[in-house]
Amino acid sequence: MRRLAVALALSLLAAAVLMAGGSAIAQPSPAASTLPWFADLTPSQLLRGTLAGVLLVVAAAMVLAHFDRRTAALFRWDCFLPAIKRLRGGQTASRSALGRLVRRVVPGRLQSDWTTKRRGPLRRGLRWLGLSWSSAPVRRLVQSVSLLTFLILFFYVLWPYDARPAPPGERSADWTFQAVDQASGDFTFQGRTALPWQPAAGQTVYVSEPASAAIPDPVVEAFSFVSATDDEVRLAPAEDYGADLFDTFMMSTGTWTLSERDPQRWPSHLADNVAGKQWIPAETFLVIDPLVSLSTAIASRSWVWSLTSAAVILLICVLVPRGFCGYLCPLGTTIDLFDWAVGRRIQRFRVAGDGWWVHIKYYLLAGTLLCAVFGVLVSGFVAAIPVITRGMLFVFDPLQTGIARGWHQVPPVNLGQWISIGLFLAVLSLGLLRPRFWCKYVCPSGAVFSLGNLFRVSERKVESSCIHCNKCVEICPFDAIKPDFTTRTNDCTLCQSCAGVCPTHAIKFVDRWNVVELKAPNQPPTGETALGRRGFLSLAAGTAAAVGGASVAVGVTKAWGANVDDPDAFRPVRPPGSVPEKEFLEMCIRCGECFKACPNHVLQPEGFQQGLEGLWTPLVNADWAGCESSCNACGQVCPTGAIRQLPLEEKKAARMGLAIVNESTCLPFAGRGECDLCVQECNAAGYRAIEFKQVGTEIGADGQPIAGTGMAAPVVLADKCVGCGLCQTRCVAINVKAEGLLDASAIVIEAGEGKEDRKMSGSYRRQPEPQTPASTSNDSYYVPPQADPAPAAPADLPAAPIEDDNPFGL
Amino acid sequence: MRRLYRDGLGALALVCCVCTSTAAAEDLIEFLNGSTATGTVKSIRKADREFDFEMNVGGRTFTRVFPFNKVHAVTYRGNRFELTPKVAADAAAEGSEGRSEAEVKALIAAAGATPPDWFESTPLDYPKTLDLSWPLKPPTPGWKSHKNMGQYIWSVINENPPRWRSGIKLIHHCVSLHQDDPVLLKRDMNALGSAYFRLMQDYARAAFWYQQGRPDMTTRDGIQLAECYWRLGNREMALKRLRRGPVNIGAIKLLGDMGELAWALRLTERYQNTNFDYQANILAADALRGAGRLDEALDYYQRVLDSKNFRNEDYKQRFLARARESMETIRLYEQADVSQVADGTYRGSSTGYNGKLTVAATVADGRLEAVKVVAHKEKQFYSALTDTPAQLLEKQSVRGIDGTTGATITAQAIVNATAQALAEGNQ
Repeated sequence: MRRLAVALALSLLAAAVLMAGGSAIAQPSPAASTLPWFADLTPSQLLRGTLAGVLLVVAAAMVLAHFDRRTAALFRWDCFLPAIKRLRGGQTASRSALGRLVRRVVPGRLQSDWTTKRRGPLRRGLRWLGLSWSSAPVRRLVQSVSLLTFLILFFYVLWPYDARPAPPGERSADWTFQAVDQASGDFTFQGRTALPWQPAAGQTVYVSEPASAAIPDPVVEAFSFVSATDDEVRLAPAEDYGADLFDTFMMSTGTWTLSERDPQRWPSHLADNVAGKQWIPAETFLVIDPLVSLSTAIASRSWVWSLTSAAVILLICVLVPRGFCGYLCPLGTTIDLFDWAVGRRIQRFRVAGDGWWVHIKYYLLAGTLLCAVFGVLVSGFVAAIPVITRGMLFVFDPLQTGIARGWHQVPPVNLGQWISIGLFLAVLSLGLLRPRFWCKYVCPSGAVFSLGNLFRVSERKVESSCIHCNKCVEICPFDAIKPDFTTRTNDCTLCQSCAGVCPTHAIKFVDRWNVVELKAPNQPPTGETALGRRGFLSLAAGTAAAVGGASVAVGVTKAWGANVDDPDAFRPVRPPGSVPEKEFLEMCIRCGECFKACPNHVLQPEGFQQGLEGLWTPLVNADWAGCESSCNACGQVCPTGAIRQLPLEEKKAARMGLAIVNESTCLPFAGRGECDLCVQECNAAGYRAIEFKQVGTEIGADGQPIAGTGMAAPVVLADKCVGCGLCQTRCVAINVKAEGLLDASAIVIEAGEGKEDRKMSGSYRRQPEPQTPASTSNDSYYVPPQADPAPAAPADLPAAPIEDDNPFGL
Repeated sequence: MRRLYRDGLGALALVCCVCTSTAAAEDLIEFLNGSTATGTVKSIRKADREFDFEMNVGGRTFTRVFPFNKVHAVTYRGNRFELTPKVAADAAAEGSEGRSEAEVKALIAAAGATPPDWFESTPLDYPKTLDLSWPLKPPTPGWKSHKNMGQYIWSVINENPPRWRSGIKLIHHCVSLHQDDPVLLKRDMNALGSAYFRLMQDYARAAFWYQQGRPDMTTRDGIQLAECYWRLGNREMALKRLRRGPVNIGAIKLLGDMGELAWALRLTERYQNTNFDYQANILAADALRGAGRLDEALDYYQRVLDSKNFRNEDYKQRFLARARESMETIRLYEQADVSQVADGTYRGSSTGYNGKLTVAATVADGRLEAVKVVAHKEKQFYSALTDTPAQLLEKQSVRGIDGTTGATITAQAIVNATAQALAEGNQ
């Protein structure tokens, strides 16, 4: 009864949390289509949802525990397969309600016979997979699903090459405006032929000025279709149109083009593709690695949005202590696979289970956070998910690209990438020392969870029926069982493998405060102090190592660093929407997710151009490819906000750099030949940021230019160029590689002060600058007086209409 | 009975009269584009040449300010007032034949008095370094296209179609800046005429500004003014100007286009043995070719090939290429007979204004199905890129295709390339 009461209280609390503020289930604002659905989720919504979920799960577990047999626990998490033993009559294999339910649901012939101890096909099948499968199948299943999810998110979601631009739609030119039907408000247009497509009533029809290179910003008005005859179309204006719509159509003498789709729309197929495939964020695993957001937030002294996700996972791990490591972490699962495939066959490097290394992870965590305090972000080198992400990126992405799209699409590998690959292999090879050596002793992300375990509400407990058989110690993947068979609570991941092999069913996973029928501790003696194995000695030495290592890392990084304040220092072109360079270096976790998301590998990992400080950060290699105008994937997937998540509207205005024409090599400037590749490319992408200038014009004796001399050379319009690099890519592809005319691109994207927009927040869309005074007044259409055919009426006439024969003063 | 019926009709007519008189309380606007609107004229500001108009559309009431020059006529309290002659709209329908001199003049005056539709919404946009005082001769030697206005027009405005509107606005701006300096003003207004002519093919406005600028007939501007008159529909006005003594070499082309071949050839003779012989000869040859006098055309093209007076190597190459390709096309006229060509798509190339131009021609069942310019470097004369293929399809022949206005070289290149493509399919 007590459990039911507490469960009810918890449910009410969960409901209260959900309702708090009233906006927990508030309607999300209409998200831009170029961002995934969860872009509008606020941190408080996420946190409240999680907290309520956790409370409800605990409440549900308590209700279930109420139906358990012979237990005083508040709740229990048992999800292992109990070791098979002969049952006496009336005895049940499982005490838990869920366990009994499973036995009732699963067909009897698949189950083991507990009176004869004969194993059923289910157990035999799992045993065939391995001992850990047959003892804790749920955990292995979750691990597999988790790794698979990681791989799908990485290799399928971030593979946008099936995206195709929307078809242009039908278009019909030469329509003249006829009249506004003043009764209905419909606009009628007359054409030479019928509309080439049949819109449904209410469907949008776009009316625009005819397409022409001479009209940079054509008028486009959206109408909804009403009806059409052979050569007449009737269109209704949008709901609350402005009165200037009349001016546009009544006072114009030109013709109009009717289009099925907005002729001025900006393509968004790549952004939509990545956004649409993300049923969960592509960077899910990165944002739930708490070290990623924690260290970034400390290093940059700013709010990092993924801190919310870290809080969510830590909250969940209060229920399942270090469950992230045991169940979710794709690096852990990969290491498990490596240990299974390689590690167990090579025994010569094995070390003991106890040594100075057992606490490395805490000191690594301390060192990492210490570096972050000094503004140096090294967590990307050692945190679990960045390590596996980069491993997948540098080892398997080239394979995927090469096989699926051709090996010429694989960018060359630099020294930094080899180092990352080496680090990934080293992490795997640690498995030769002991299985999951990395996870147990080294991983600083795991250390965060270990510390989080201090707040655990559930725990592995050993009952007094323990017979000291040591099977649990042998199977424990995390070295979390002391010699007395009780739990090293900071290390236990609740994987439950131990319970599955326990011959006496002495192990249970229940609330932390359960003290019923427990085994006596320190029997046999463990020799462990309150600080764990190694005690003070390791604390002192480890702290010294952490402080020393951190100061060396900080010193080296800053001494051979990016020199952000030095105007002459190397300034790489960063992805669109990157925060200012100093903050960027403090926030970029170097996980490599943006490289994977970037179509055509425009983003490539930096080597040592900025010393250690810029290693593996993304830079735009425009010699390789240019930034696609319809893509905002890098911002969508950045886990720390170093690249801001921008809707396409913003991204297309965010300047990454500025194209600079080298006037000594550019073919027309150098007088070597006609070339307009960069202009074509820029216009095709829709930026129209490069125009022509006639250069090398010869002047005749009369001072007039000689027609036909000179060449049209490219001039970059600084207020329109966003530095996408498409021009540079094209110049390299044709003039450098195909034709061999140049040694390097004659148009190059450069970053630096005044050439790029680097903002922590706010819009990139440029406000139109106030016009020069002359343009605001209309006297610039000046007609010399002797030519004016209609002299203005005298100014002293009254303004109001008067009863005269000539009201218009003609 | 009959009288009763008649009375009834009378009563009906009376009712109708009442109806129309109430309807007449509504004022009617006729816009220049032919559309109309009914409503009430609220107030008229003669000085500002605009009036307020209230109209009811779809149940909502709107009040708009309409300037006189955007409105053709207003029926105000039952009386119709014509505010702006309805010619600006017709000006777009170029080449309409047979306008009287008075009509053409009215058309030009009306167009010139009003800014184009796009004028207000186009930004005045020019580099800060530009010297708007625009002296007649560039003050500094060398080519400084971001300082000297004339060089800016040549190097930047002409080269970039998106700058054409704002470029014309900039010249207008110069006109208003130089209103007290008659010499500069004359030059500015000619520049404006030239810009409307070349960039917009707006002959009415071009003619208006040329008329203000009074260009000499020995300049291109003078010839273009004559062409404006012809394009606007009065041949005699054009010829009258061309008869005024010495004319620019461009007159040969204009006369050829107008069909005055004998005159054009007379003019060409004057250029023989001068430094401009190749230019005159190629213009004459093009005119002869257009008129179907192929043997003479070949003769004049040959004169181009024989010329020794090319201004420089670049000129030489371009004129020789054009002459050769045109001769080749004339020779291919027989072979390029569409009915003899096997089905398929063929490609041909020729030299356009800015370089090589490639055409893909598709033939099926002895008919030309499609002509597409697949590669070109033309930056201006876009009209020819669609206009000439359309003409080719209509005539089903490469002979007798008119040069699209102001885009002769491009149009000719498309014809030459198509002839080459068809000839290839006829082998």
